[in-house]
Amino acid sequence: MLESIVSYGLAVGAVYALIGITYNVMFTASRVFSFTAGMLGMLGGVLGALFIDRMGMPAIVGLLLVLACGAVIGVITEIVAVRPVLRSIEQHLYVLSTLAFALLVAQFTAIEWGTDASPFPRLIPIDEGLLDQKFWIPMLACAATVLGLEFLYRRTLIGRAFLAIAEDSYAARALGLPEVRLRLASFALAGVIGALAGFAGGEMLLAFFGNQSILNFYGFVPVALGGMGNNRGAVVGGLLLGLFQQAANFLVGGIFASVAVFAVFIVVLLLRPEGFAGASGARRV
Amino acid sequence: MHLRWLEGRVTFLLLAIAAIGLPLLDDSYAGVIATRACIYWILIAGLNLVVGYAGQIAIGWVALLTLGAYTTAVLTAGTVTPEISPYLALVASAAIGAVSGVIVGLPALRLRTFYFAMTTLGFATIVTQIALAWKDVTGGGMGTPGPVFPWPFDPGWGFYYFCLILAALCTWMTANIAKSRFGRSLIAIRDAEVAAEASGVAKPALLMTVFVLSGALAGISGGLFASLQSYITPDAFNFDLSVLFFIAILIGGRGSILGPLLGTILLTVLPEIAAPLVAWSTFLYAALLLLIVLLIPGGIADMLDYRNRRPLQQHREIVPQPALLPGLLDRPDGGTLALSNVALAFGGVRAIDGLSLDFHSGEVHGLIGPNGSGKTTTLNVISGYYRPQAGEARLNGAVLPFGAPQKRAGFRIARTFQTPRLIGGASVLENVMLGGTIDGRGTFAESLLTLPRHRRDEHMLRERALQALTAVGLETLAGVRADRLQHSELRFMEIARALTLKPAFLMLDEPAAGLSAEEIRRLGALIKAISRAGTGVLLVEHHADLIFDICDRVTVLNLGKILAAGTPAEIRSHREVVSAYLGA
Amino acid sequence: MSVTRRKVLAGSAAGAASLASGLASPAIAANEPLRIGFLPALTGPSSSTGVAMNRGTELAVKEINDAGGINGRKIELIVRDTQSDATKAVNAIAELTHRQKVHVVWGPLNSGETLAATPLCARDGIPMIQPCWVDTLIDVKKYPMAFRNAPTNMQIGNAANHYVMDVLKKKKVAVIGDNAGYATATVAAYVPLLKEKGATIAYQGNVDAANPDLKPELLRMRDAGAEAIMPWSVNAGFLARILNARGAMGWDVPVVGQTTLGSGQTKALLEKPENWEKVYSNNFKNCCYDGSGKLPEKAAAFREKLAKLKIDMSDTLLWWIAVGYDAPTLIAETVKAAGDTPKGITGYWNKLTNWGGIYASLTFTPEQHNGLPDAEVVMCQANSLKDGAFNIAPGYGA
Repeated sequence: MLESIVSYGLAVGAVYALIGITYNVMFTASRVFSFTAGMLGMLGGVLGALFIDRMGMPAIVGLLLVLACGAVIGVITEIVAVRPVLRSIEQHLYVLSTLAFALLVAQFTAIEWGTDASPFPRLIPIDEGLLDQKFWIPMLACAATVLGLEFLYRRTLIGRAFLAIAEDSYAARALGLPEVRLRLASFALAGVIGALAGFAGGEMLLAFFGNQSILNFYGFVPVALGGMGNNRGAVVGGLLLGLFQQAANFLVGGIFASVAVFAVFIVVLLLRPEGFAGASGARRV
Repeated sequence: MHLRWLEGRVTFLLLAIAAIGLPLLDDSYAGVIATRACIYWILIAGLNLVVGYAGQIAIGWVALLTLGAYTTAVLTAGTVTPEISPYLALVASAAIGAVSGVIVGLPALRLRTFYFAMTTLGFATIVTQIALAWKDVTGGGMGTPGPVFPWPFDPGWGFYYFCLILAALCTWMTANIAKSRFGRSLIAIRDAEVAAEASGVAKPALLMTVFVLSGALAGISGGLFASLQSYITPDAFNFDLSVLFFIAILIGGRGSILGPLLGTILLTVLPEIAAPLVAWSTFLYAALLLLIVLLIPGGIADMLDYRNRRPLQQHREIVPQPALLPGLLDRPDGGTLALSNVALAFGGVRAIDGLSLDFHSGEVHGLIGPNGSGKTTTLNVISGYYRPQAGEARLNGAVLPFGAPQKRAGFRIARTFQTPRLIGGASVLENVMLGGTIDGRGTFAESLLTLPRHRRDEHMLRERALQALTAVGLETLAGVRADRLQHSELRFMEIARALTLKPAFLMLDEPAAGLSAEEIRRLGALIKAISRAGTGVLLVEHHADLIFDICDRVTVLNLGKILAAGTPAEIRSHREVVSAYLGA
Repeated sequence: MSVTRRKVLAGSAAGAASLASGLASPAIAANEPLRIGFLPALTGPSSSTGVAMNRGTELAVKEINDAGGINGRKIELIVRDTQSDATKAVNAIAELTHRQKVHVVWGPLNSGETLAATPLCARDGIPMIQPCWVDTLIDVKKYPMAFRNAPTNMQIGNAANHYVMDVLKKKKVAVIGDNAGYATATVAAYVPLLKEKGATIAYQGNVDAANPDLKPELLRMRDAGAEAIMPWSVNAGFLARILNARGAMGWDVPVVGQTTLGSGQTKALLEKPENWEKVYSNNFKNCCYDGSGKLPEKAAAFREKLAKLKIDMSDTLLWWIAVGYDAPTLIAETVKAAGDTPKGITGYWNKLTNWGGIYASLTFTPEQHNGLPDAEVVMCQANSLKDGAFNIAPGYGA
């Protein structure tokens, strides 16, 4: 039983963490919380099933195509829903523009793909070992993403440019960094990570349009817990959430498990609005 | 006057006539749709104050609709209590809605936009889950029948008129709030929270009041919704409904009553006309929302606001009339604001290091020094934004507690900001009226019903603000939306807002920045006149000429300490100061 | 005194209302088409039932109209997609009864919407026939003009409980549902029935449908000694997860429950075909293969017709299409015999005895508007799905 809680909890938690990182990557590049994170995860699953199951492509080709689609959607998000509102002084507009864009894509998916859960293909044609692939694939994807991002941010020039933009976009622009192109790249990267989350978790969560709202919410919890922009915090928060959710499912069971998760989320946020690792607010006057 | 009264209300009147006359069509289907629009509007009217005015991203308001619906339905059915009249049950729903509104809204005091949005979604999920699980009361997944209102508001046109009357009442009441000092304070919280605090707006209390009202209206709306639906199940309260409420306000336009009302009608009626497109309805909502955000962020209200599209006069001059100041400020008694040994460090950096300063009413006190010398920090300490680690401040001998910027207006301490904090969506007059907020005497409830005290408050604030605007020379722009003003005009507008408080002390943070030489000259005369009318002015400024022209006393700061203090003439000849800052 | 005055006024208001809505009454020319208001959910969640029934209904209406209509009178089918949204259903029913002035309402097809639509139809005095299972939908006192051409939840539950306890001889049962309205209500209703029959409830629970992991629930069932699992949900993903978890645990326990257990969507979500073994779902005798693998005569002919018309059967169930086909057929026959007035239609239905549709043989009385005989509700073998129909489960003497 414990083994079941841990394997499922960590696997689901890894997907939440990846969605949390998707939020973070978009946030650091633009100071925008984008409602498109869950939508990207949902698309990862749906497109994976579309390419591999319905169109019969090999798993690896399917994966690459899904990631490419994620990148394209990320770029479109930046152009359609983020860039126009960044110019405006009205801070709230991004909530609306990204919500509208996410709804648009989700409804299109609902109509073209259907609203019922569809099967997601088995990615690796081997027999189950100790741990089923649907558990370790998301964990592997999460670990690879975190290591990749660490490498990108710490060891490469472009990664440092990302960080500079996040720190102070005016100063970065003054230094001659191509802010717009870097932001576009960040959104493409976020698209890739979000789609990867859905793809890696596909065998567990299925190709299901309803995953959008679930991932949007549960992917945000790690961000809230770990502090925005903090990827390590998101991973810890995501895994904790996954374990807590599975433990609640197991111990409380039924309907009250989800109520418990939501209630804990709200209480934690009220106690620590900046998350457990976040710093307090910026200068106002 | 009568024509102007009509101008603002003609759309409301036309809507009312159409709504009252609707039964003449003898089309009960139109009646159902109109009833639904009324019911949604009752909720949206309240939510509008939260989203459209206070700017809080409350997405999950369907939670309150659900609570109201179940409360009315369960009490009327008598499953847990003795059966009670639906009308009484509706009152109970309003009460439960009001309490729940506070609970759902509470996080807004601590959380920023997106976080708050997520918690409201969390509440929406929790309420639905509880409705499913609490079978004995709510009927669980099977649901429960909705109430049937007895005569005179029985199903059909009777019920329609009931909803219409309530909707009209909500329109009237929320419009009253919108036009009151509470409405102005809400918009200020949304657009310029710092300015709201400086004007003495108590954000927590005001937001909670608005959540109570909004929750109560949502509760009533829920009870009516249950009756219109005739049967409610948890599945009926879906996310689409929440999105509809939220989007109606934004399509309508923030800071407007008419816009969201039209938005509500549009979103209720549109899907009926576009029945063949039903599968695409949410898709179309989303597309509409995206288009509006990108193309007309101000929504329907902005499109209808033709008065603010009329071009403004091109070359405008600001001509202050300082002669009006004594009548406006009305400050005979003198006073002193004293800082002693104040020290404040950010991390390892000492921003102010044992500073002692006295400011006197009737004087202009200049504060100069290089960047980072602690000028603005001093100002922020006095106005309560920073809490120093040591020292104290006294106002006329009594201790002025540190922190709590929203309490400074009560001590008649006003200020302006380095970057003008304008409330872009409000008119210049409304921006200025905000300054006198704490002198309003009527309560929120009195404003809701436009009782005499509210009308007296409004009259008084309007007169005072107009006087202040005339004194600074902006009276011709009173009706213009503030975000259309030029930079220099905004500086004068902020001064007018500060003057509306009738301040004992006025702190100006670089008021001359960005002004032309002529404007600086006029500003100088204005500031001098303000001090001569009895207000103590603390002036932080880089323009040395202005400082030496108008100041009675000057203090020079360096690294958080006083480098020199004295009359302008003394400072001008102070060697260190001259060599360090004033140049040759 | 005020009471009488109130009553008088209320009465007159009601009179005015019925005058307004009652224009579609007797004396209108016989050439005017017969308007049937139809409320399927064609898009949105849980629309597969609606899509299938719509195929049957459209086919029946076309056949009747092609054959010259009802005594030369055409049927006009007015369809409003409810998207499984009760709010849209309430608007749609108002439009159908008040603006379109339909003579009879067929549907809605999901219980959440029908619960809202039934009192409204009753208020307007429009005869209504609907296929939803919720028991409280039929109440001859409250809704004297509402009839059901499908089983009640009780009939469904009794059939499944009978199968578990009397045929499979299992006494310790686990009852599970998702957290949607139908499932929570159904689990709550069936557990007492099982107890009455002397079963031990080893497990009872409603689980978040989005929960990807149902293994803890199944482990709990197994630890509690459950000998049969009875899942109640219309969510194919949820049901498939139960079956997959059962397969992964290598637990050889029968699963007996909701029709959707046998749907093509559930099948598509199974990790292995073996996971569909020992799964028994609700079905109807008239649309099942008997012991010799044959459909009853009427159903066989119907399926042949569907095949000829190239109506897609791969993604749907035969009985769904058959229900959809039966309703307008019954309505046409009724109007032909008794006219299109509400009184005529309900009067005819109140005396309907053993009306032989493809899906069911319906019998109504003035006291009983649930038309389906108990004996026609059976269980079938989920993995025998072929062309939209199933083999009747072992244990029913053919």
